[in-house]
Amino acid sequence: MVRSTESATTRREFLIRSAATAAGAFLSIGLPPLASSIASAQPIAGFTPSIWFTLTPDGKVTMHIVKAEMGQHIGTALAQIIAEELEVKWEDVRLDSPLESVENFAIYGLAYTVNSGSVTTEFDRLSRAGAAGRMALIEAGALVLGAKESDCTASNSRVTDNVSGRSVSYGEIIQKVKIDRKFAYPDDFKAIKLKASGTYNIIGKSIPALDIPSKVNGQARYGIDVFLPNMVYGALVIPRTRYGSKVKSIDDSEARKIPGFVKAVKVDDSMGKCTGWVVALAEKFPVAVKAAQALKVQVDPGPYAGINTGDLFAEYSQTIKNAAAGANWVLEGDVDKSLAGAEKVLEMEYTTDMVCHATMEPLNATVHVVDGAWHVYTGTQSTSFARMTLTAYLSKVLGQKPEEIKIYVHESVLGGGFGGKQDYDEILAAAYCAKEVGRPVKLIQTRESTFATSFPRTPTYHKLKAGLKNGQLVAMNHDICCGWMGPRFSVGKKYGTDWLQLDSWDAKKEDIDQWSIGGSDHWYGVENRRVRAFDSERTTWAVQASALRTVSNSYNVFVVESFMDEVAHALNRDPLEIRLALLNGKGSARGIPNAGYAPGTSSDYYMDRLWISLPWPNDNSWPAYESTTVGGALRLANCLRIAAGRAGWGAKKLQPNTGMGIAVSSAEERQSPTWVACIAEVTVDPQTGQYKINRLTIAMDPGTVINPLNAKAQIQGAALWGTSQVMAERLTLKDGALEQSNFHDYQPIRLVDVPPIDVELIDSGHHPSGVGEPASTVVAPAVANAIYNAVGVRVRHMPITAEAVLAGFKKKT
Amino acid sequence: MPNLTINGQSYFADAPPDTPLLWVIREDLRLTGTKYGCGVGLCGSCTVHIDGHAVRSCAVTVGSVEGALITTIEGLSPASTHPVQQAWIEHQVPQCGYCQSGQIMQAAALLSKNPNPSEQQIVDGMNGNLCRCATYSRIVGAVRRAAEIMNRAAEIRNEGASHG
Repeated sequence: MVRSTESATTRREFLIRSAATAAGAFLSIGLPPLASSIASAQPIAGFTPSIWFTLTPDGKVTMHIVKAEMGQHIGTALAQIIAEELEVKWEDVRLDSPLESVENFAIYGLAYTVNSGSVTTEFDRLSRAGAAGRMALIEAGALVLGAKESDCTASNSRVTDNVSGRSVSYGEIIQKVKIDRKFAYPDDFKAIKLKASGTYNIIGKSIPALDIPSKVNGQARYGIDVFLPNMVYGALVIPRTRYGSKVKSIDDSEARKIPGFVKAVKVDDSMGKCTGWVVALAEKFPVAVKAAQALKVQVDPGPYAGINTGDLFAEYSQTIKNAAAGANWVLEGDVDKSLAGAEKVLEMEYTTDMVCHATMEPLNATVHVVDGAWHVYTGTQSTSFARMTLTAYLSKVLGQKPEEIKIYVHESVLGGGFGGKQDYDEILAAAYCAKEVGRPVKLIQTRESTFATSFPRTPTYHKLKAGLKNGQLVAMNHDICCGWMGPRFSVGKKYGTDWLQLDSWDAKKEDIDQWSIGGSDHWYGVENRRVRAFDSERTTWAVQASALRTVSNSYNVFVVESFMDEVAHALNRDPLEIRLALLNGKGSARGIPNAGYAPGTSSDYYMDRLWISLPWPNDNSWPAYESTTVGGALRLANCLRIAAGRAGWGAKKLQPNTGMGIAVSSAEERQSPTWVACIAEVTVDPQTGQYKINRLTIAMDPGTVINPLNAKAQIQGAALWGTSQVMAERLTLKDGALEQSNFHDYQPIRLVDVPPIDVELIDSGHHPSGVGEPASTVVAPAVANAIYNAVGVRVRHMPITAEAVLAGFKKKT
Repeated sequence: MPNLTINGQSYFADAPPDTPLLWVIREDLRLTGTKYGCGVGLCGSCTVHIDGHAVRSCAVTVGSVEGALITTIEGLSPASTHPVQQAWIEHQVPQCGYCQSGQIMQAAALLSKNPNPSEQQIVDGMNGNLCRCATYSRIVGAVRRAAEIMNRAAEIRNEGASHG
């Protein structure tokens, strides 16, 4: 999440060319190589880049996937999009993952997988790229067939002359005809007519995911499965604090007694990364672990050593008292005036604890220096930022100019991501150790050190006020204080970047970290509303606050949707009825009514800006495509009606101490919503406070659905992620260190906790939005609201423990 | 130097007897389908079969399994066609896939002992295996489906035997 300083290039043409090489003919679509003149002047054999796909004479099409494969089967989805317009037979489709380097970055752009944004940002580009390939193949196929191009059509990897009925395969075409077709950017791409929703053959089909077969027989290769000749293993000595400690001395006298121990390395932390890190290197990993335990490391614990979670919450509640310290993230109407004029003001405090990603694959990286080039093997959500971060680090450590440092990042599939694989500390440390030991280094974080060095979701504190008048919600104020992650990634005005403030209403133009405040900008039509953002920079650094599945939606939706139920009950209105009334699609909740948007407007989806600007020409961006906000709150209301109907809201006879709860969400960002509603049915045991989720009903409208079976898997998994967040997960800071260390004291839900989940997928035909994360936001508030409706206990903290529910009972009685 | 029998082959482990079996399987023999998740038997990612029982390979030492028959995911079936693997593909269970070798080995051991597990028995049998992507709903369905495939195969064998 750092802004690249690498220069954008200017290109005006895309090429579709076939080329004869030693390996045979192939067809590729892509950009001319960087730093070369327009391709007509080039020898054809020299043309290699192909950003989207490559067709070989055997008829196989390899789709080049720059998005990280971390469980969302993104390669299959993106390939379905290309294959649809390319008219290629699905059996001919293959996937690969381009190597990350300076050169490839200039061709493929930013490799970064976050925000449930992959399909949203790639759909239009890949559709047009596929269509361009098909057009070139039809032209060439017509030549081969001696037919008129207008008489020819393509399907199933063949071009057919509809007059003679003769046809030729794509593979044969590129062997017989040299294709040299140019598409001017952007006009020729804009002119391409894409298939309409409802006419798809491959999109919308539940095609089995291409990465699954290798995941049932042990053949899938993760970062942790990399081997290099002569490599040593590294294990981290658990640092004294999460951040900011300094190593004073290392005593390795005990470690040296262990056969196979190589050396202890104090990792250079002068860039503010890997602070206080000492790595034990050994010939075998278990030896490295033993040696790490045997090393005696003296540290200066640094500025964050004394902090506990409770101190942070206390700080937040103080900070928020000074309204002037907040910056307006949302501001509509006159909140103070309408609160003053309200009949009743409802005022509540909410808090949420830290949680972390705890991916099943512990963090790891392997680094090998070959002929002065640094080869990194890992599974990361951004090979591009991994390369850039390592470049900056090595530049500092080695005293070399960044452009002199050659880095290649070899991507593996990820054993889980969830936002937890977009920091690069293991890579930096493995590289530093490789330099120190002169051998390849495979650094594996143990589960314990993975917890100790994780990048958690910040603790959060919220104060909400609702103005009630004449049975209506007339004003809402939401103050949020938490640690912002932006500063850690050098994002914000004081760092010279502003692209996180796209939707800010703040007249002072202060820094507001969208990733820490987003989700509070709900789609309810409340005339007077304000969200004020308060930053705790101490938190940012002390806990290394970061993004976790849906980022700030994962707490803000819990808070907003719980509070919305409190408003409903205070007004004596039904929680479903008041939501449907407020989701009226008026004013700022109408969405963007046109097809697409003017580049640079405040509705511009920042993921798209990020992609377009790096390395594409940003003066005239890719043809505008339909915003996923189209339809606005009315689409959310539709999801809510469907979920409520399927769950039997207000109709189903419920058992004693059982209730239903509602929540809606438009995660992940205001500019890229996926509309989702959830009804949770929960039974509470009044004796113990324990509760059981009987059933979750989820309705989601993600626009066009690429692969329904997989979309449902993603939604189910996300819903259970949300279940785990509300029921089970809690990470705490004690004396500046993260307290939990393994799955005995950090306990995600297991099979026994899994409720039946009913998923209704609404293919509304609009531009697709992401399905991997949004359903994780709605479960916690739906459960909180169900607990209230079951037994009248309101818990204003996440996770919701049995103790908290029981305490609520005692307070009531 | 402990002598191990893994997937029908004999190996001498170049590791002290107190080394966790997991690391010998993964890093020395490079059978990397068996995964490291927690190191203390809490997550199940490293599950292998030892004499037919599902065992956490991170929690047993190489010294303790000499002479035992060890099977890893790579040895479960020669063409990846074990009924559990078939069912896992049919139900599209894996997401990130990291825990799935362990899930599959756990499920295969469960079904070898109980060919017709009830829903509760599936939950009890599989509850020790963590999946952070939460593919749990599909795991239950796929175990049931694997049982069907196995029982159907057994029926066909029995029919063949009675007619033969």
